[in-house]
Amino acid sequence: MTSDDHTELTPQEEAAFAALSRQRAASDVLEERTVRTLRARGFLSSRPWVRRPLVVAVGVAAAAVMFLSGLATGQWLGTQTVTRSMADAQAASAMERAVAVQRAGSAYVRALEALTQIADTSTDGAVAQGREAALTALYAAVNELVLLAPDDPVSVTLRDVLEWQRQSPSATQLTQVRNVVWF
Amino acid sequence: MVEVTVADRVLAERVWRDRDEAAFRTLYGRHTPALYQFVLRVLGGNEHEAEDVLQETWIRGVDRLADFRWEASLRSWLSGIALNLCRSLFRRKDRGWVTLQVGDEPVVEAPHELELMDLEAAITALPDGYRTVLVLHDVEGFTHEEIGARLEISPNTSKSQLARARRAVRIALVEHGTGTRVES
Repeated sequence: MTSDDHTELTPQEEAAFAALSRQRAASDVLEERTVRTLRARGFLSSRPWVRRPLVVAVGVAAAAVMFLSGLATGQWLGTQTVTRSMADAQAASAMERAVAVQRAGSAYVRALEALTQIADTSTDGAVAQGREAALTALYAAVNELVLLAPDDPVSVTLRDVLEWQRQSPSATQLTQVRNVVWF
Repeated sequence: MVEVTVADRVLAERVWRDRDEAAFRTLYGRHTPALYQFVLRVLGGNEHEAEDVLQETWIRGVDRLADFRWEASLRSWLSGIALNLCRSLFRRKDRGWVTLQVGDEPVVEAPHELELMDLEAAITALPDGYRTVLVLHDVEGFTHEEIGARLEISPNTSKSQLARARRAVRIALVEHGTGTRVES
């Protein structure tokens, strides 16, 4: 296009075009509509954190800590007679129960550490049985945690992971030594 | 507080790999205002159609995100998708897109509210084909070669359409006392 065409923009026209807005806000309704459609077509997940490995790893780690608390409760109760345990449980304050959970959790970790120390030298099935007992306890504790807080995503995720493991082929090996019932 | 801007490419990867809704919303918020203005202008100010086109643009964009080669910016790529959707809409509604390459001087309709008659309104009143070329060239800054590639027309056709579009805009502006008459 040339000036002879009289269609070149004048400076004023260029300025006018340059002054036109380049952005305009769309309605919030449109954003929600678009997101809903993308979700419905499977392009977006409402729970993307489940698919993020790092988030899952952190969740599992946090859940493991909580598991120890639940586990300790069961272990502590298991050392008492039924009557005594029930009476203690009813009589204990929240703080007393929390302390008991902490102590039992520490004891559980120490027991696992001791087991780990002989893991490389022991040739019998005791180590495997110990590991199985630990996993079974872990699973039971996590189930309790889910009952305690059904909406807690960390507990639910950990339970799902453990259930998946128990149902996977590799879990079959564990069930072969599942004659160890620890409590 | 220091605001950290995550690159489009990182966010896009989260969207197609993790289906991350938060990442999508960030991209959406970042690019939608410009895309919306562009689409609204190409469509002549029809907000309802512009919203439909914009939604479909994002859906197609997310669907094809894994195939995007990142040889252009994300916004440019999305605007290309949006432009194709606009053209499809023109064809579907038979709004005269076929008159893009041939025809007499365009007839410029007067805007509904004369007091708002300005450059934006003059652009809005253009026929679809003229308006599209004018917006791409004079507003968005594309070259005739780029416009030709996007609209599947020759660069010369783009030039002639732009000339007609500019004349039509000037006529509209002069008629409403806001422009300078250019003898042709």
